[in-house]
Amino acid sequence: MPERNIEFGKYGARGIKGHEAVARRLDDLAGYIATPITAKRGLMARLNYLTRSDHARAAARAAGLTVTDRTIKAWLEGKRLPSKKNLDRIESAYRTVRRHNIARYLVGRLNARGRGTRVEIHPVNQSQVPRPRQRVVEYRTLNVRRWDRIVEAWAAADDQALDDAWADQIIDLGSQWGQYEYVTNIGFAA
Amino acid sequence: MTDFEAIDTLLAGAKQQIALPPAQERRALREKLNLSRTQVAQALGVSPSTVGGWESGRDPSGEVREKYAYFLQGAQAKLEARAEDVSDVLSDGAAAEDGTTGTVAADSGSDEVQSLTTPQPCVLCGGPAHHQVAGFPQHLDAAECGTAAASPARAAKPVQVRPVGRRMQTASETSDPIGAAVASALATHEGDVEAAIAALVKRAIPDAMALLDATRTGGRYDIVAHPWMPDILRKQSARGSDQIWEARPKWARPELPPGAHEVTALDINGAYLSALKTHLPIGQLEHSTGFDHDRRRAGVHLITPPAWEHDDVLPNPVGARDEPGPLWVTEPTLRLLLRLSGPKYGLCDPPEIHESFTSGATENLLEKFRIVLKDARDRAIAQDDEVTLEYVKAMYAKFVSTLGESNYNREIYRTDWMHLIRSQAFANLWMKAYKAYDEGLMVVRAMGTDELHVIGDWRAVFPEGRGVSEVKVKDTYSVGTDPETAAAGEAGD
Repeated sequence: MPERNIEFGKYGARGIKGHEAVARRLDDLAGYIATPITAKRGLMARLNYLTRSDHARAAARAAGLTVTDRTIKAWLEGKRLPSKKNLDRIESAYRTVRRHNIARYLVGRLNARGRGTRVEIHPVNQSQVPRPRQRVVEYRTLNVRRWDRIVEAWAAADDQALDDAWADQIIDLGSQWGQYEYVTNIGFAA
Repeated sequence: MTDFEAIDTLLAGAKQQIALPPAQERRALREKLNLSRTQVAQALGVSPSTVGGWESGRDPSGEVREKYAYFLQGAQAKLEARAEDVSDVLSDGAAAEDGTTGTVAADSGSDEVQSLTTPQPCVLCGGPAHHQVAGFPQHLDAAECGTAAASPARAAKPVQVRPVGRRMQTASETSDPIGAAVASALATHEGDVEAAIAALVKRAIPDAMALLDATRTGGRYDIVAHPWMPDILRKQSARGSDQIWEARPKWARPELPPGAHEVTALDINGAYLSALKTHLPIGQLEHSTGFDHDRRRAGVHLITPPAWEHDDVLPNPVGARDEPGPLWVTEPTLRLLLRLSGPKYGLCDPPEIHESFTSGATENLLEKFRIVLKDARDRAIAQDDEVTLEYVKAMYAKFVSTLGESNYNREIYRTDWMHLIRSQAFANLWMKAYKAYDEGLMVVRAMGTDELHVIGDWRAVFPEGRGVSEVKVKDTYSVGTDPETAAAGEAGD
């Protein structure tokens, strides 16, 4: 099975796409503000992050927070509360800006001056697959040395690019790399 | 009469302690010979910090003292010999003004032998030689050359060996990362013990991880550092905790028999170090429900703990739990409960297992790691080496506390192992409390990871010392009053 899967989960295997697991792990490492945006503390923390400097304001505007400065000021002073639609916009703008800000630092940590980072790949969960159709898929590890494309695609929230970048890395697992297109978890540290 | 003979031989054997030069001079002697503390320590078979201690005022005793005295005498002799050579060179210096390598063709013998105006180190013994043969400075007379005298002494020196696996290896072949780290830290801080300890404690976490990797080479199982974790093992919030109950004992005996009692607070040495030997799940945890306990797997279990009826004499093995109902416990707690419910102990009913997250387990995953640390600890205690002791302590303590989701150690995210190792320490403490109770001591308190308060002759039950299988006294205090004096006091009122 050297290529990509066509009908994943037909016999009951469970897992997520490898690149989704990578994005999840990178999100963990990015360390977003933990308090939800629905709480006042969480909202204020995000607004402060997005209005800390002119550069941050411009980045927020580019990321889709297209409200006037007057509105943001009113939110920050607590005179008005953002609508539900605007809460979503603030949240997505915050995530985009945060990812963008942290990307360069993350690439440096993960590349580790060319040493790369060891990645653990945990195979799909086959517990719901009928016994005769179960296959031996082992836990594998891989050292990924170049993270630039992966982190860039993650920062741009470009799923297709992230998938391609990740597949380019896992083909190093050998001819069986298709077994690791879907996984339960991908673990690495930065 | 044999007793007196024995005393006579003892008296004959007792020698006067060899006098050593004062402490500052010892260091000066070593430094003038350009020898590092590590080199001297290796030759004497002690640790570098021990040599540091001798140079800052402590005195060695016994056989090591003789060796050290021999070294210092030798160093002094060598330095005196060197000083004489230098004065010779200075007096001859006028003859060889134009350069150090000036040679004069020998007037007799073959043309290969030349005499040197400036003495140069002999290629055989290293001492100053006045002749060279085909460009190699050396002594012409074997009696002058030091090699003849030095070589038998070198050959007679015993080789230090250590068991490695099933074979023996010389000590220089086996790598000793802990010793090397301590030696280099002491060297960079020039023997300043406190600074060296601070530097070593700072690098304890990465060093422990490197040591773990080194001890796993050739092992059957890989260390899986980032498995998927079920939600019960994830923190609810940044500062919150997860749902695992580690069964930390926090128990005090409700009442004591009347009279005055002498209580001893005992401290279990290296509790977390010993707890590294526990059944650890190797891979990712898998969910299962309604099954019996499988001895070949380990993980966390949702159980309803059995009722505990011995709370007046022994702590509850589940710890001081206020809430009733089912709780998530770890493998060591479950195994302890199963053991206590068995026919040998019969102290409680078996616990009821509802759900489990387990994986195939082995007790040997951290075993080599533990042995390396334990050996280093034992050696440090035997040699009174404070630096190594603190370093080893920091290594295992920080390893256990940063195994989970810690920002100080991002190489491993095994929250399950962290809980299991801690619970194992608590289970070990519980078994010690039970042993004390079983041997007739009165257990008064069990608290924290390593503290046990008992009344009675505990020395008959636990060996005293600093090893991991021994206990040390933390405190002794008395509680209660003698019934007679109390009665007298009441009568007086």
